Amino acid sequence: MISILLVPFFYVDSLTTSSHTIDEVVVVSVAGEGRKRSVKGQVASIDEHLSELSHVNLVRRGSYAWEPVVNNMATERVATTIDGMKIFYACTDKMDPVTSYVESSNLQSILLNSGLNGNPQSTGNIGGSLDLKLRRTGFNADPFHANVDVGYETNGHLQVYGADVAVSSQHFYTNGGVFYRHADNYKEGGGRKVQFSQFQKVNAFANAGVKLSDSNILEGTFIFDRATDVGYPALNMDVAKAEAFITSLSYKHQWAESFLNSWETKAYYNHITHVMDDTKRPDVEIHMDMPGKSWTSGLYSLVSASNGRHDIQANYDLYYNRLFADMTMYPGGAAPMYMVTWPDVGTLNTGVALNDHIDLGGGHQLHLSTKVAWQTQRLNNEEGYHALRVFFPGMKQNYQQVTGRIAANYAVRRKNYEVNVGAGWGSRAPTVTEAYGYYLNNTFNQYDYIGNPRLKNESAIELNGATKWQMLNGKCQIGLDANAFFFSNYIIGQFETRLSPMTVDAEGVKVYGNLDHATIVNTSLNVKWKMATWLTWDTRLGYAIGRDDKGDPLPLISPFSYTSSLTFAHRRFQGKAELRGNSRQTHYGKKYGETVTSAWVIGNISGQYTLSIQRHDLTLRAGVENLADTRYTTYSDWCDIPQKGRNVYVNLSWQL
Amino acid sequence: MNKKVLTLFLAIASLGLVSCNSNDDETGIVIDGIDLSKDVDCCSAEEALQVYKFLQTVRNIPELTTVVEGLYEVSAYSKTGTLHKGYNDLYFVVTKKKTGNYVKFFDVTDLTPLMHMVKMDMWHSTPVGGTVTVLDEKLPALKHGWVSLLMNTSDAGNWQFSYDIEVLGSKGGVQNKAINVNALPDGQDWLKSFKVGNDTYYLSLVNPSDWQTGTNTIQAYISKKNDPITTPYTLATETFTIEIDPRMPDMGNHTSPDNTPLTIQGNGSYRGSINLTMTGLWRIHLTVKDSEGNVVAGGDDQKDGYSSLYWDVTL
Repeated sequence: MISILLVPFFYVDSLTTSSHTIDEVVVVSVAGEGRKRSVKGQVASIDEHLSELSHVNLVRRGSYAWEPVVNNMATERVATTIDGMKIFYACTDKMDPVTSYVESSNLQSILLNSGLNGNPQSTGNIGGSLDLKLRRTGFNADPFHANVDVGYETNGHLQVYGADVAVSSQHFYTNGGVFYRHADNYKEGGGRKVQFSQFQKVNAFANAGVKLSDSNILEGTFIFDRATDVGYPALNMDVAKAEAFITSLSYKHQWAESFLNSWETKAYYNHITHVMDDTKRPDVEIHMDMPGKSWTSGLYSLVSASNGRHDIQANYDLYYNRLFADMTMYPGGAAPMYMVTWPDVGTLNTGVALNDHIDLGGGHQLHLSTKVAWQTQRLNNEEGYHALRVFFPGMKQNYQQVTGRIAANYAVRRKNYEVNVGAGWGSRAPTVTEAYGYYLNNTFNQYDYIGNPRLKNESAIELNGATKWQMLNGKCQIGLDANAFFFSNYIIGQFETRLSPMTVDAEGVKVYGNLDHATIVNTSLNVKWKMATWLTWDTRLGYAIGRDDKGDPLPLISPFSYTSSLTFAHRRFQGKAELRGNSRQTHYGKKYGETVTSAWVIGNISGQYTLSIQRHDLTLRAGVENLADTRYTTYSDWCDIPQKGRNVYVNLSWQL
Repeated sequence: MNKKVLTLFLAIASLGLVSCNSNDDETGIVIDGIDLSKDVDCCSAEEALQVYKFLQTVRNIPELTTVVEGLYEVSAYSKTGTLHKGYNDLYFVVTKKKTGNYVKFFDVTDLTPLMHMVKMDMWHSTPVGGTVTVLDEKLPALKHGWVSLLMNTSDAGNWQFSYDIEVLGSKGGVQNKAINVNALPDGQDWLKSFKVGNDTYYLSLVNPSDWQTGTNTIQAYISKKNDPITTPYTLATETFTIEIDPRMPDMGNHTSPDNTPLTIQGNGSYRGSINLTMTGLWRIHLTVKDSEGNVVAGGDDQKDGYSSLYWDVTL
């Protein structure tokens, strides 16, 4: 009990990762064998860390700021939090998923809750929730610790430099660091340069904790992240600046020996400024300025309790978010044209959540989670409101929504197998883009999208199951995992032929609408075989189906995918050879403007060697991605921009 | 000591009396430069205040100002104090020189703008709203009229204005007063004409500079060229319908949904509604139909597919 209380974060992690619907990738090395890590270690980008998670795919619009897709559901259906804090992206074209505003050095790990079994702070997580867990040295760690990372990749001349330091004592800790990345245009397979795929990013973070007494802790965090000159080859424009300022202050009380474990209350504030830029593109028909702003302020209060059988978390949260974006177009010689694309929408959301993990004894476990949230939205920009009223004359300036979710998972563990089954129901409110977005051009299908304030909440029933079998004295594990989401009022853009597009080369206009029903099913098979003490074979096959109300394929659903790898470990050396591929995307959302994606397969090798120099670890990682320099695009490459060709990387992490 | 107290008391008492005086008028309204004491020809204090407030929103046109028999000062106003090509609102106010108060009873007649076409040494008039009338019951001393000027002043021609006025039996007016008419900026074209047979009609778009992104009322007048052309062009007696197709030429002819045609109203103006999805240049292509639904003007498909008859409005 006491050890649990000393490291409450690890306690929570080990508890939650016991469910099959939860996955975690470790960003900064911590003790714990068998946990997922990127082969590039801490130098890997957040996107590369995310790609390690099961259930996760990434939509790529360039070489920066990929959009996480969980269970084949993108941002709208995925809740992303940073240590429980809400943060909302500021770009109407989704150039800046919130995961792009942190850097590897900021994070301890990324925790994924698949489906409706979300973490207590998440709302609207039908597909799943991602929590980016910030890295804290904590109390009673090494009195002084420093870490230096240097990385280089040949393709695109990616350079990575990072350094951080930490100081810890019994009553105080602080850590901070800076991280810098720079990349030029990368080359696709075959050697052709992909124009406008460069980026540059600076990140700085600091956090500190004070133990006010044995049971009272005050902690603060601060992150500043700024990306400049970011190219988006899949879009018509790039980004001049994407800047975030993220800060929080939390107070935690811990009880030593009682039913209550801890009570944490955190207040936070973050804001994002996003400025697009088309001045570097040739042949721009009309130059445009498209800035976006997002700011969020909120708090949550989380109580954890346990009595041996029950592990309970009760959470209250409240946040207020403002989203504003506009667009000014400058036709040569004529008057500028101005419109508000996100009408300064203020969202006040508050909710209560309850999680209970029950140990029923004899290897039976039950996990329950539920949340109810209420929100009110107001369109604060009159011009944007009046513009939308052209399309929805009856619309109001205020809207209210109630959303909720409830999920249950039951697990049986035996010596050689385990079985998990789960079910849930949850709903989400339309996003600001879906409800109030105004002529947002989607380069994926070349349609202008108009939000619909009359949308109903979308809801889904989720059923999931997983089983894992062990053979050959535990040397071979076979896992089968499946989930199915049965949607009601599925929100998607629908053709509106009566409306005329705004963007010059657009095909037409779509207005968001509710489909009566839709279905998404994900399945995966995983085989892990420890063939020898130094050799492990790991294979994963995945298949998904997405269907709309007419039985036609939904867009951006992964085709059959496979990964197979051999991992060698010998003393301080680890090596990995990997094959990754997708089959041809036979069921693609033609109706929604998606085009077919061909099959592809690539090979990667990587190696890692750790040296100890005077008790300081120096880890050298190197590898080659896309060995055969194959030219390929995946189904989630926006506008079929090709992936990186052969890439040799090498990086060094030095722990001081 | 006692004397001092008494003086102070008297001072306070007289202050009270002064303030009582200014409160004689039960409304307590004071307007600088206007004597609001009762005068049946002029505004009550409340009415005068309303006129005064309105006049803060417009500007005086010095060229059209005159004095009638040394008793009354006549002032004309427009939004900017100047005139421009196309539709202009004109406001007339008469003040009694003695009191400065606004006179309620006066008539402005024969408002006649005339343009001198220099090259041809020819004169012509322009569309003018029928009579100068009270715009708002609450503002009995404020009279409104409009002119829609065919051209701006240039080397080709210049404008003169005339009108007659009768104030409480006294007569006066402005005769052939030269006045400058400004051109509209690029991207603004609010006056168009069309021909039916030998008749020429003018389509004057009313104040589109008030429009904003969203749904707007669109108002226009249809006037008919007079014979002789030196008399002001009055409203057409025929009834038309004006269908509108707003487009953004800089935006690939983007349009907006649910625009309603302009139809005739009781006051002789035409009204409809126009939806504007953003600011910028809007070219409002027109199709004019007669009372039987026959297209009489516009509605032709030019090579770009849109009517050649259009107003341009830049928001």
